[in-house]
Amino acid sequence: MTELALRLFKFPAIRILRISPLVPIALLPMLALAGFILVILWVSFQTGVIGTAQAQYTLDNYRAVFADPLAYSSLLNTLVFATATTLFAMAIGLPIAWLTERTTIGGKPIIYGIMTVGLLIPGIFVAMGWTFIAHPRIGFLNQWLVWLFGLDEGPINIGTPIGMGFVQGLNLAPLAFIFTVQMFRAMNPLLEEAARIAGLSFTATLRRVTLPLATPGILAAGIYIFTVGIATFDIPAVLGLGNRVYLFSTYMFIQTFPQEYVPRYGITASIGTAMIIVALGLTYWYGQVLRRGSRYEVITGKGYRPKPIDPGRWAILCWACIGFYAFIAKLLPVTMIAFVAFSPYVAPPSFDMLSQLSLSNFYRINWELVLRGLRNTITLMVVVPAVVLCVSFCISWLVVRSRSRARYLLEFGAFLPHTLPEVLFAIGALLLALFVLKDFLPLYDTVWLIAIVYVVVRMAFATRAMNGALLQVHRELEEAASVAGLSTLRTAWRVVLPLIRPTMFSVWIWTMLLVYREVTVAVFLTSQNSITLPAIVWSYWNAAGMTEASMVTLLMITLFSPLLVLFWRFGRQGGMASG
Amino acid sequence: MIVIPADPGESRGRAGIQELDRNLDSRFRGNDEIGPATSFNELLRQDNYRERDKVVIRIRNLEKVFLSARGPVRAVQRIDLDVADSEFVVLLGPSGCGKTTTLRCVAGLERPDRGTIEIAGEIVDSVSEGSYVPPDRRNIGMVFQSYAVWPHLTVYDNVVLPLTEGRYRIAKNQVRERVLEVLSLVRLEGLETRPVTDLSGGQQQRVALARAIVTRPTVLLMDEPLSNLDARLRDQMRLELKRITRSVGVTALYVTHDQAEALSLGDRVCVMNEGKILQVGPPQVVYANPSSRFVAEFVGEMNFISAKVIGPAEAESLLGRVRCSVPPACQTGSEVTLAIRPEHLSLSRSRDEYHPAIKGKVVGINYVGDATLFEVEVGGAAIRVKQPGAPVFAVGDPATIVLTQDSWHVYP
Repeated sequence: MTELALRLFKFPAIRILRISPLVPIALLPMLALAGFILVILWVSFQTGVIGTAQAQYTLDNYRAVFADPLAYSSLLNTLVFATATTLFAMAIGLPIAWLTERTTIGGKPIIYGIMTVGLLIPGIFVAMGWTFIAHPRIGFLNQWLVWLFGLDEGPINIGTPIGMGFVQGLNLAPLAFIFTVQMFRAMNPLLEEAARIAGLSFTATLRRVTLPLATPGILAAGIYIFTVGIATFDIPAVLGLGNRVYLFSTYMFIQTFPQEYVPRYGITASIGTAMIIVALGLTYWYGQVLRRGSRYEVITGKGYRPKPIDPGRWAILCWACIGFYAFIAKLLPVTMIAFVAFSPYVAPPSFDMLSQLSLSNFYRINWELVLRGLRNTITLMVVVPAVVLCVSFCISWLVVRSRSRARYLLEFGAFLPHTLPEVLFAIGALLLALFVLKDFLPLYDTVWLIAIVYVVVRMAFATRAMNGALLQVHRELEEAASVAGLSTLRTAWRVVLPLIRPTMFSVWIWTMLLVYREVTVAVFLTSQNSITLPAIVWSYWNAAGMTEASMVTLLMITLFSPLLVLFWRFGRQGGMASG
Repeated sequence: MIVIPADPGESRGRAGIQELDRNLDSRFRGNDEIGPATSFNELLRQDNYRERDKVVIRIRNLEKVFLSARGPVRAVQRIDLDVADSEFVVLLGPSGCGKTTTLRCVAGLERPDRGTIEIAGEIVDSVSEGSYVPPDRRNIGMVFQSYAVWPHLTVYDNVVLPLTEGRYRIAKNQVRERVLEVLSLVRLEGLETRPVTDLSGGQQQRVALARAIVTRPTVLLMDEPLSNLDARLRDQMRLELKRITRSVGVTALYVTHDQAEALSLGDRVCVMNEGKILQVGPPQVVYANPSSRFVAEFVGEMNFISAKVIGPAEAESLLGRVRCSVPPACQTGSEVTLAIRPEHLSLSRSRDEYHPAIKGKVVGINYVGDATLFEVEVGGAAIRVKQPGAPVFAVGDPATIVLTQDSWHVYP
């Protein structure tokens, strides 16, 4: 009996509290999450030697942050970056989504392919590639323009907040695409047809009917991408740290791992607290917009599809644009990385450079380090998906099947990690390991700390997918098994699990791929023993070893390309929307 | 922390069922010349005739309250019911009357707030004693409205799962025989290897039925199993259901909102409304003598006319003076409601001296093939009259309703 029945005292008999055995498993990530948030709040109020009796509880950290001009410039940069990201992502994703859903353009599977596989190539690689393209000093585009027009310096600077926003916009365009595709599918096309019949022209319909109806969906997608933008660490870390252009996430990074002075965890924690508040506010706004938007969704009935528009001769132009996006977003950066990986030093591509290509970088990288990173990454890729599957199944089962009111709390707790920036989890885990757990649970400097954070972060998405799958398994299928004499365990094994197997497989593959490409948490929690492959790439890059970083990147891509094939074959069902 | 007190009666009951099974098996093995399906039915029928007076399902004081957003909903309010061995009892009522909740309490899928439920002599749910036997240990079979056949398994696997994974497993060498026997009983031979999702609705319903009876349960519970089928199929399946449960001889509790189904299937019909049982009895009795206005209205068609009692066996209504049996509770002068079935009235062009009649005008015709339901306006009230055959009156024609004696019901 997995029914979480919390009955109150009711005469004539006293009810017995029956708690399902799944509850402890489901609550573990919640406890970890609560731990992270609480420790951030706790540390933010401390100065002196944190975590000991000598620590004083003051508001000094907050005062320091508010007084620091760097903090304000970081805030401004973050806002500019997030806005630029949202605009670029929506400007690319929305038209492509409209093309896919509302026109008869050919080759739609390819478009979907470009847009979904794109989500899996880490943003850090794109940032690295674009450094080689548009960095003011070493970017080949700038060097060509200087040579062509005789300028003093390269006109394009990818290291500004807007430049970084452009790169992240390219990365998140698939996200905008997926969101708006779902929105177009939910929109009632009859409303537009009614407008056309009433005599409105195409542009008038677009202006007066389509766009107003689409606004809640577009707004919701925009807020979501903005939230992701604010939380981004890997792009500003690659593009901005070198020339001291800080965003909030990188500002937190230099407070935690400063070059010149002692780590100021108190300040980091106070920024973290501010981020929590902002993130929660944005989530609340997002929820409000979604609720308003659901008013416009009408059930159109079985199988009604809108009449698609034939793009005619515009189709070639549209395909050219999509191809151009795929080129600048994935192909070009990765090609540049490959080029640099085989070059002795970073220089724009030329015939001269081509003759100097060699495998010297391959031998130059620290293989002991790389193998250690590989081992850690593989450990994470094996352990984290298994734990995530198990925990999310327990949470979903309780949320979907139990009738107690406590399940709403569980659902909220499961979705909370989605709303908070990953940086916060990393910081929280770090502080927890350093100050709270250090004596009785030595997790610092182990890969297991990273594993715990990954599980908490990935839980939100996995729970959402499992909820969808379990909701489709009608309750009566389990009841029929129970009445037929099967115990709960056997019911779960023989009836429920086979039916949700496709979703479980998708979740497993997605989690594995997202673990492999994860940079932010890996960098914040990196140490001798817990370094992962993406963290190795990052540390080479940070130490100005761009050629080595590029070689390790190439290794990563080649090693894990079979995974991408696996994902392409099996992982695309279930409507995975975000990572 | 799972705390379920052990039920003292449980081990006794299980031993009893095992003994019955052993008896059947030994007699089965002795009868080699009879084919499997027939001998199984024969044996059960012989056993059942001997134990006809035994009560298999005993419900006492059952109460269930649901907490909804609008406050507590009293789904079942203190009902008592007995179902005898091999009896087919139908719970009939409108949506929300508590019939499904009652069935699910008997199945163990709901926990009541008050009362006791006994199956085959052992207490399976008792609120006062705090005992509860979960559904997988009650040896029941259940057919759901949505069939609930397991979509990832074949027909054979669906029916075999209770025998191989449930608590009522049988010896491995007998499994295949039992499954095929039950499949031929529901007329699905030859379809064992089909994925169950390839079957039609009616066939899936039969798989669900086969699965429910394959463990030879004490009790068969059915929750509106025919309501998802289309009309024609529903009528056919009704006859099938009757035949199968009769031949297997299992005790059945059936829930429906369709009164025609209830009347044709049940040995006894139990009419429920708003969580209470209004009347229990054989179908003919419930139809001919409904005990309350609700039952009269719900089971079959009924005309209602307000009247005033003017004598010990007479009442005055807008249809004139009517002879009827007045219940003792209603004294002369009290306002009552008269009720009569449309088939107990007839329409004619003119009146004769032998029967009381009243003139009216036909305002509606509802022709259903074998009969016509006329709506006749008399003195401001619309009276429905049922005549066999095609309509002989047109809308607007004057017609005379002929009143038959002794078919009136009187409700206070």
